[in-house]
Amino acid sequence: MARRPDAGAGYAGRPAAVTSHFLRQALLLAALAFVPAIGQAIYFRERVSWQSPIPPSEMVTVRQARAWGADVIWVDARPEEDFTHDHVPGAILLNEDRWNELLPPFLATWSPEKKVVVYCSTQSCNLALEVARRLRNEAQLKDVYVLQGGWEEWLKQKK
Amino acid sequence: MKNPKLSLFIVSGLLALGLISPASAALKWEQTTLDLYPAVGDKDAVGHFKYQNTGDKPVRFKSVRTSCGCTVAQTQKDVVPPGEKGEITATFHIGDRTGAQMKTVIVETDDSAPSVTLTLKATIPQLLEIKPTFVFWQANESPTAKTVNVTASKDFPVPQIKVTSSNPDFQTKVEKVGKGEFKIDIQPKTMTKPSSTALTIQPENSSKVFNVSASVMAAPVVPAVVNPAATWHVVPTPAPVTPAVPQP
Repeated sequence: MARRPDAGAGYAGRPAAVTSHFLRQALLLAALAFVPAIGQAIYFRERVSWQSPIPPSEMVTVRQARAWGADVIWVDARPEEDFTHDHVPGAILLNEDRWNELLPPFLATWSPEKKVVVYCSTQSCNLALEVARRLRNEAQLKDVYVLQGGWEEWLKQKK
Repeated sequence: MKNPKLSLFIVSGLLALGLISPASAALKWEQTTLDLYPAVGDKDAVGHFKYQNTGDKPVRFKSVRTSCGCTVAQTQKDVVPPGEKGEITATFHIGDRTGAQMKTVIVETDDSAPSVTLTLKATIPQLLEIKPTFVFWQANESPTAKTVNVTASKDFPVPQIKVTSSNPDFQTKVEKVGKGEFKIDIQPKTMTKPSSTALTIQPENSSKVFNVSASVMAAPVVPAVVNPAATWHVVPTPAPVTPAVPQP
């Protein structure tokens, strides 16, 4: 059986072949990496950016919010029955269940120099994120923050 | 099979793929994610998560929790006998939400499987997109008109909108700037006192109403500034003079 002159020599002496081989491998790996990425993009196509974790600059701790004193408007984004049961003193109810009805009374108390701190329960923490997002994007208010740890953290620090 | 290693490998593979299962109780879900597309005006979006107990033991629901107070999940039964089918109904109350919404239901059973997360993905149609929904004027600002842009959804053509103001101190002007696109100019008539209005926007071909708020802000309260120069001229208050007590 005739043996090719370069058989067994690997890629030695064939830099072009080596480059081509590695390039093919790299392209194959890149293509494979794209498969889950494309799958995820299709699956989560309805998820918009606000559903991503919010930047830390838009979060506030109970201690920080309390330090703002009277310059804060507390917004309770929990369901109405939770608000009725108990809430941060002076807080205003504003949730997406009755957004159109509850927004005007909130805006009547708002003024540009005030900071808005939105909280909800840790059991349903997305509520505060969504209320804060709508206040920023739709009403175009500045200085809107979400309370870290929500209502439970407030209760803990109240003691 | 003669090769025990090969048999073990095949059985492990089939177990991993879930094609065979050891004798146990287990709920097999038809779907754990549902895409819902409620119509304009729908109050609820309802998803039915169907399951079957494919094991040989009854399965008991330990807990069914939802991610949001706006979603209620109900089981038809507490215990599912082997082979029996059923469903969990998840009802998402839409309220005033719009756009893409994702709500989850976490189901825990007494079988060995970990908890299952059922996901409702609802896309709520937005008849009108209004931006911004709030405009305001500072007390020292000139009372120029501010604009609110209204865009109708492509799926629901809106030929015209009607705008009414709750406060006659604000005047509004509606202009159609394109197909399904409107511009509302809002202007306060006076800036002498704080005031606000609620604008109601109603598409001509729908009973649904949308709100925009507008306010003239009160002048900020300026804290009293102590003039440091004044402190240089403070005349100390003389000590009260005690009246001389007549000596007896």
